[in-house]
Amino acid sequence: MKQSFVFSGSGGQGIMSAGITLAQAAIDMGKHATYLPEYGPEQRGGSAKCTVVISDESIVSPLPKLCDNLIVMNEQAYAKFVWDVKDGGILLMNSCRITDPEDLPEGATVISAPVDDLALEVGNAKAANIILIGILIGATDVVSEEAFRLSLNEKFKDKKPGILEMNLNALEKGIEIGKKYKK
Amino acid sequence: MAEYKRSTLIADSPSGYCPGCLHSLATRLVSDVIEELGQGDNSLNVISVGCSALNILYWGGDFLSVAHGRAPAAATGIKRSNPERLVFAYQGDGDLAAIGLSEIMSAANRGENFTVIFANNQTYGMTGGQMAPTTLIGQKTTTTVYGRDPATTGYPMKMCELISTLEAPCYVARFALNSPKGVREARAGIKKAFELQLQGKGFTFVELLTNCPTNWKMTPLQTLDYMNTNTIPYFKPGVYKDTEVDK
Amino acid sequence: MGEKKFMKGNEAIAEAAVRGGCRFFAGYPITPQNEIPEYLSWRLPEVGGSYVQGESEIASVNMVYGAAAMGTRAMTSSSGPGISLKAEGISYLAAAMLPALIVNISRGGPGLGSIQPAQSDYLQATKALGHGGFHAMVFAPNSAQEAVDIVYDAWEYAERDRNPVLVLMDGCLGNIMEEVELPPMKELKDEDLPEWSLSRRNGRDYQGNITPIYTELILEGLNAAAGEMYKAWEEDDVKVEEFMTEDAEYVVVAYGIASRVAKEAIINLREQGFKVGMIRPITLFPFPKANIKNLDYSRVKGIIDIEMTIPAQMREDIELQVLGRCPVYEYGRSGGVLLDDEGVYEAIYEIVSGGEIDG
Repeated sequence: MKQSFVFSGSGGQGIMSAGITLAQAAIDMGKHATYLPEYGPEQRGGSAKCTVVISDESIVSPLPKLCDNLIVMNEQAYAKFVWDVKDGGILLMNSCRITDPEDLPEGATVISAPVDDLALEVGNAKAANIILIGILIGATDVVSEEAFRLSLNEKFKDKKPGILEMNLNALEKGIEIGKKYKK
Repeated sequence: MAEYKRSTLIADSPSGYCPGCLHSLATRLVSDVIEELGQGDNSLNVISVGCSALNILYWGGDFLSVAHGRAPAAATGIKRSNPERLVFAYQGDGDLAAIGLSEIMSAANRGENFTVIFANNQTYGMTGGQMAPTTLIGQKTTTTVYGRDPATTGYPMKMCELISTLEAPCYVARFALNSPKGVREARAGIKKAFELQLQGKGFTFVELLTNCPTNWKMTPLQTLDYMNTNTIPYFKPGVYKDTEVDK
Repeated sequence: MGEKKFMKGNEAIAEAAVRGGCRFFAGYPITPQNEIPEYLSWRLPEVGGSYVQGESEIASVNMVYGAAAMGTRAMTSSSGPGISLKAEGISYLAAAMLPALIVNISRGGPGLGSIQPAQSDYLQATKALGHGGFHAMVFAPNSAQEAVDIVYDAWEYAERDRNPVLVLMDGCLGNIMEEVELPPMKELKDEDLPEWSLSRRNGRDYQGNITPIYTELILEGLNAAAGEMYKAWEEDDVKVEEFMTEDAEYVVVAYGIASRVAKEAIINLREQGFKVGMIRPITLFPFPKANIKNLDYSRVKGIIDIEMTIPAQMREDIELQVLGRCPVYEYGRSGGVLLDDEGVYEAIYEIVSGGEIDG
C-alpha cells in the first residue's frame, strides 16, 4: 500500500511541519516514508509545498506529480495544484482561504474544512498542521489514531503545560471531520 | 661577536633571489628567530605565490606551498587542525594586498592564532615588475610606465593601518629592512609575534619593507636610499597594534 | 549495525562525514546545501574537530587544503556557483596530491541559475573540476542512505589515491528526508596519520613539505601517473546498478534523483509488458563504460538518457559506448523544474511504444 500527499499553501501555514510530522509518524509505525520540501527564495511568506510518500515497502520515487491526497491551504495553491489529485483521491481544502472554488475535480473526495478557524479555536494558529493530519487520519488509514496520539505525547511531554493538550485537542477536531469522509 | 653561520632552517642551496634583494634577509631573520625559540621542527612555513615562493627552493623546515593569495586561508586549516604548531605565512604585496586581500583581512578578523610575515617591495617581482597595490605614487613599473597615477590606479594600500583597525589582531607592526637599526627592530618584532602565537594570543602581523633592485632598475645601494626618501615616508614603520601594551 | 533515523539528506551527509573521520569543514552559505555547514558547525566541535565559515568559497577550499596537508580528514560543500569558485582550490588539491571530500548539492544553471534542484553539473564534475586536466572520483548517490554510505568511505578512496573525491547530488536528495541507518564512528589514531602529512603527531622527525609546483619532468611524470590512476579506477572502482537489463529492449541510463523517478516508471512499464531496464551509474567518474558497451545490441532498440537538466550532459559519454548501434534518446526537466513520475513515464512510454520523440 503506497500513498502520496502534497501539502501546499504559503509559508507560516504549517505546510512543512504537517508533512514532516506525518512522515515521521508513519516511520514510527514501521512504514517507509519520504518527505520532500520545495522551497522558494523567501524566508517568510513565500509559497510552500512538500510531498510525502508513505508505503509499506521501501520507496522508489519520491517525486509523484499526481497524488492520492492533496492538501491546499490557500487560493494560490488551489489554482496551481487542484488538478494534481488522482481520481478517487482526497482534496482537502482550507475553507477559510478558499471560499469560492471553481472546477472541483469530479473524481476526488472533497473535504472543505475551516482549518484556520479550528486552529484558533483550539488556541493557536500553529495547530493547523495537527488538524490537517487529524483529518487525514480520520479519512484514511495512513497512520493509526492511537500511534499518532502516542507520538504527540512523546513529542510534547517536556513542553510547557497545555501544549500537549492543545495538540491532542487539534487532533480530535481533525479526526472528527475526517471520519465523516471515511470510505 | 656572535658567529654568523647558515641557519639550519635554510637548506644548503642557492636562494634564487636576485643579488641585493632583501627577501633573503627577511627569510633569514624569520629562520633565526625560529631557531632561537627552539621551534625548528615545530614550525610550518605556508609559502605563497610570487618571489616569496622561492622559499620552496631553500626553506629547510616543514612547509606547505599554496595558491596565490590563499596562504591565510590554508594557514587557518593548518592551525585549526594542529594548534600546537608554530605556523606562519610568508607573503608578498601582490599576494597579500591584491588577490589575497579577502583572505588576509578575514583571517586577521577571526583572530586566527598564526603569524603573517608580509614582505612589501611595492612590485610584482616574479612576473617582471608590474604595478602592485603597494606601488608608490609616481613609481614606474611595467604597467605604469609613466609612474603610478592615482587618478586611474588609486593609492598604495597601507596594510598595517588597515589590519590594526580590526578588533581581533594582537600585534601589528611594520619595519624597514634598509638599515641595521631597522633589521634589529624587525628581528625583535618577528620574535614578539611568534612568542605571542606560542602563547595562544591570536593573530600577529609583521610587515617588512623590502626592495627590488631588478625591477626598480637600481643598484642595491640605490634601493636602500630610495626606501629612505620614498618608501618609509609613506609606509611609516612602527607598532600599529599591541594588545599587551595597549590594554 | 547502526541506528535508524529519519533525516534530511544534507544532515545525513554531515553526520556520515563525522563518523567517517571528518574533523575539519570550511564552507560558505549557498542554497540548497546549507544544512551541511549548519549541522557541522555544532557537530564537529563535539568530536574535537573544527568548523570555519569561510569568507568565500575560494578561502574555504583553501582552508580545506591546509587541513588536508596535516592529514586531517577535511571537506567542503557547496552548489554549482560555489563549486566554480572552488575550482582553483580543487585543482591545487589534485596538484599537491591532497585527499579531501567536496560535496556538490546541485541546482539549476548556468550562472546563478535557480536555487531549486537540478542535475546541471555533470560535465563540470566529470570533465573539468578545475584547470589542468585532472579528475576526481565522482560519486552520485540516489538516496540519503547511499549518500551516507559513500560519504562514510569517501576518505578511504581520497587517501588511497591522494586525490580529492567529489560527491554530486542534486537539491532534491539534499533536502529529502528519509530513513537512514548510520554507521559507527571510525576511530582514527595519530600514529596512523599518513607519512606524507605535515603533521608531526605521527612521530615524524624529518623535514616534510607539500607543494603544487614541480619542475617540468617531475610534473610530466605525475601527469602520467594520474593517467594510470584514472585507468585503474575504471578497472577497480566502477560502481553501477543494473535494473532489469537482462531482457531489456530499451535501456534507461540515469543517475541520482533521475534514476529513482525512472525506476518507478520502469516498474510500471514492465507491468504493461514493455521490456525496459536501467543502467544507473553510481560512479560518474569512472563511468560504467562496459555496462553500456557490452549490451546486446541485437536486442536493445534504444538507450534513453534521463537527466534533470536540459540538454542532457551524460549523453556524449553514453554515445561513446553505444557507437551508433542503436538510437540514443534523451528526456529531462531543467532550470529547477523537477522530474516527476508521470512525466518520465510518458516520455519513456512514447519511445518504447513507437511514438515519435526527438532522438
